[in-house]
Amino acid sequence: MKAKKILQKLTPYGFLAPAVLIFALALFYPVFYSIRLSFFNWRLVEVYRKAPEFVGIQNYIKIIQSPAFQTSLKVTAIFITITLATELIVGLGLALLAERKIKGLHLFRTIFLLPIMVAPVVVGVLWRFMFNPNYGLVNYFLGLLGFENVLWLSKPFPALTAVILTDIWQWTPFVFLMLLAGLQNVPEDVLEASIVDGASYVQRLRHVKLPMIKSIIGLTIVLRLIDGLRALVVMYVMTNGGPGRATEVLSLHIYKKAFVSRRLGEASTLAVFLIIILLIVSTLLFQFFNTERRTSA
Amino acid sequence: MHNKAKLLIILVVALGIFAGSFSLVIADSHEFDWRQFEGETIVASFPAHKAYNHWVDMLPKFEEKTGIEVQVDQMNYGKMSTTQTLEMSKPNGDYDLISMVGPLSKAKYAQAGYLEPLGPMMENESISYPDWDFDDFVDKLVTTQGKVCLTCKGKNIYLGGGEGSDTKLYAVPASSEVSVFAYRKDLFEEYGLVEPKTFEDVLELSEFFAKNVDGVYGLTMRGKAGHQAGHGTLNLLKPFGGEIFTEDWEPAFTSENALDTLRYFKKIVEYGPPGIPSFGAGGNDNAFLQGKAAMYLDHSRIASLVRDPEQSKVKGKVAYTTIPKRKGIEDTTVAETGGFGIAIPANAGETDKKAAFLLMQWMTSKKVERELMTEYGVQIVDRESLMKEPELQEQFPEYKVMAHQVKLADPAWRPAIPEWPEIETEYFGIAVNKVLTGRKEPEKAMEDIVKPVREIMEEAGYYE
Amino acid sequence: MTRLNKWLRDFSLPGSEKLRKIDKAQLIRYAMLVLAAGVVLFPIFIMITTSFKTRTQTFSMPPVWIFKPTLKHYQEVLFSGNFLKYLVNSLVVATSTAFFSILIGAFAAYALVRFKFLGKRAVSTVTLLLRMIPPAVLIVPLFVLWLNIGISGSRAGLIFAYIALNLSFTIWILRSFMNEIPVEIEESAVIDGCSELGILFRIVLPLIKPGLAVASIFVFRISWNEFILALVLTNRTTRTLPVAISLRITQVGVHWGEITAMATIVALPAFVFTFLSARSIIRGLTAGAVKG
Repeated sequence: MKAKKILQKLTPYGFLAPAVLIFALALFYPVFYSIRLSFFNWRLVEVYRKAPEFVGIQNYIKIIQSPAFQTSLKVTAIFITITLATELIVGLGLALLAERKIKGLHLFRTIFLLPIMVAPVVVGVLWRFMFNPNYGLVNYFLGLLGFENVLWLSKPFPALTAVILTDIWQWTPFVFLMLLAGLQNVPEDVLEASIVDGASYVQRLRHVKLPMIKSIIGLTIVLRLIDGLRALVVMYVMTNGGPGRATEVLSLHIYKKAFVSRRLGEASTLAVFLIIILLIVSTLLFQFFNTERRTSA
Repeated sequence: MHNKAKLLIILVVALGIFAGSFSLVIADSHEFDWRQFEGETIVASFPAHKAYNHWVDMLPKFEEKTGIEVQVDQMNYGKMSTTQTLEMSKPNGDYDLISMVGPLSKAKYAQAGYLEPLGPMMENESISYPDWDFDDFVDKLVTTQGKVCLTCKGKNIYLGGGEGSDTKLYAVPASSEVSVFAYRKDLFEEYGLVEPKTFEDVLELSEFFAKNVDGVYGLTMRGKAGHQAGHGTLNLLKPFGGEIFTEDWEPAFTSENALDTLRYFKKIVEYGPPGIPSFGAGGNDNAFLQGKAAMYLDHSRIASLVRDPEQSKVKGKVAYTTIPKRKGIEDTTVAETGGFGIAIPANAGETDKKAAFLLMQWMTSKKVERELMTEYGVQIVDRESLMKEPELQEQFPEYKVMAHQVKLADPAWRPAIPEWPEIETEYFGIAVNKVLTGRKEPEKAMEDIVKPVREIMEEAGYYE
Repeated sequence: MTRLNKWLRDFSLPGSEKLRKIDKAQLIRYAMLVLAAGVVLFPIFIMITTSFKTRTQTFSMPPVWIFKPTLKHYQEVLFSGNFLKYLVNSLVVATSTAFFSILIGAFAAYALVRFKFLGKRAVSTVTLLLRMIPPAVLIVPLFVLWLNIGISGSRAGLIFAYIALNLSFTIWILRSFMNEIPVEIEESAVIDGCSELGILFRIVLPLIKPGLAVASIFVFRISWNEFILALVLTNRTTRTLPVAISLRITQVGVHWGEITAMATIVALPAFVFTFLSARSIIRGLTAGAVKG
């Protein structure tokens, strides 16, 4: 009887074991390994020839001082801020448009799902083509409107703009779908009550709807932030981080440090910075929206 | 039982002696044993590039001759270093023979210890094909594509550093390119113009076309920010007597000759086809192929593109000549050299290395390269003997000029150091582009990048 | 077909007597949404049409809108080089990842839903945190570790990494579906003498089929689309399609026909999934939004 009880106690751990094992081997250990390697000097070519050489916090000093790292931080910050702000505003606007029961809503939702589903490599390819200075459609339409040819991907500012526009194209639909789901979940009676109160549309939006979906907006921001910090494929395909380092976000900088500059130790240091940023940003946001939720509830 | 075993041993020994003496006879008569690695499989990393496409087409002949199976991983040449770096970093990489953009990759790879020096293999008679004729390769191209001196000091360490004892050969040329000057002979005849001898002539002619001929402009160049603008400038820099670095690796692009080059380049943009500041290699080629530019100064591949009716509107209307000089700076007709070299990764299996060496020799043998030219129309400038053949000169009208041009090639037309691509893409080529688009004066643009360029060089240890 | 009909019905233009009822605001709303949908669809449309254009048509300005489609690029892509091999790699990697993630994820989700045990909260939190790890952080350690244990360059190595990346999401979504099953159903099974494993496979999993579908679509999509780990962890024989495309992109950019054809093929499953089960995908995507 007792043995059976112990066995029963162990059952949940048995069910969890495979997952835990995989997490340990392919996520925990690698992250731990990265943190450790960030204190070592190791070149890619030495991987099977030489053990890493311990250098203390030298990598950290070097990275903090390196202009490339500073640039990548700046680019990442600009990229995330602008994409997030635009996606939120446009996504919310569209969600408010589609929120009322309208015909064909499902078709719209299906169409908006497409950019989210398509591979980032494909997104990179198709926008690289769209932004081609000579036969790309973006310049063609700008030309019709009387603008001059823009050298989208070969000048720093336009290149960053192009990458940002691409992200907006791909992810505004996600914000739209999230917020739409949230809006549709706002109970009818609350809205009806406010209409009876004679509140205007803007008043209803400010005082009823937005507060009701505040936590969803928060979740959307967190998810987009995490994704923003992961993004690198579209840049890799469209500009490879260039021209110069104009579109080299932190994630891409890590890849290039490891497999183009072939410095594994410094790449790991960069990875540690990325993890730290991720933790700070998400903790702050979670906290912010959790307290918001409590006070508003 | 015992007897049988004895018999077997005797038989084996006898066979061994017989085979041994037989192989001695073969060696004596210089009969090369192509089939010594029969059954091996080797993997090659090649670019998706015309010459290599046709080399791949011809591979079945090699496989039949040697019994070696060759598998090829072909990709865009700009992406090759991505997978090559990964594979060569593993204890047992996938590749046994790699093609690389010689002048840049060989330095990087050799410095990292990724490449097998070819010297010992060439000395190993059992795997050296006697008719390979290594000496027939154009010397300057061998230096450009394959020679590295890792321990040498001074400016040309990655170009062999003179001929010091530490200079090693890591790759052989396999589809090199030189720069060439092309112009529209139909237009020149129509307007009674003479082919340019100096860069002053080129500028005058450019102005003439821009002002007098509808839809046709002067010289076209590449000027897109980054690598391309850097490349464009280097076409002019040496002939103008400029340098990127001094002997001591100090930045030299602020010198008067270098600034003069940039001022000249800016004028070329004014009279050239619209969009030079956005032209990469493709845009530059296209301007000439579509008939928008009357003159062209860039890679020799343009000749095959001109012949391709699918891409070219100027087929049969183009003539070639030696790259002009700058007045007052005589001895410096200089050509750029580039293209591919093939090398053997140090982490390939021992037998695979030898089999790959056979493939390397076969690919670059006179017979195969000749076939590449006559059967597939691929232009090969790697071998002296081929360029001298009248029959080939007839098939490739640019060949005569190029045979001459390649001898004037300067392997050091760009700093052949691992740091150069970074400097060019991120600083030099961007500064040049700012000059071309009028956002900065040459003096200012060049002075502004001295500091970051010095930092890169310092970090890499050039000033110790 | 029926689905298509349904959409068409949903979207059919209102009859004239209905038109009066639709106010101006409604029209503007429609116009804006149609515009947005147009912006979303247009680049995809351009990509697909470019893959059917000849080189001259691709490079002509103004663009050619009506043309005789050519299958040249698709022939080129499918029947030369290793494209088919890479297609098989992508399929094998994505389906195996989906299968194993769901199997292992279902075990874990079941444990989290049905048992009370020490450390349950910690497990849930950590699972959530693991979702945030950016692939860029993993490329260096996984490259080195996989080399050391000898699975570098193999499909198994890539699948293993992908399972780890997808597992927390799978657990999370399966858990939300399992939560909706009334405990009574399982309890009656226990009385019938079913083992825990039996309950999971015979009762729980069949009940959450829609959840399994959503999870498999998501995991398949992520593994099919993933790029940076695939770039680092595969080699010439085990490469997946996104990597193969990236290696074909040229600076000079004259092979747009082939590249867009490849891209279209890679995007195909995404199109199919979207049009077949948009509803459940959106449910999976916005699950967090609805449940708060």
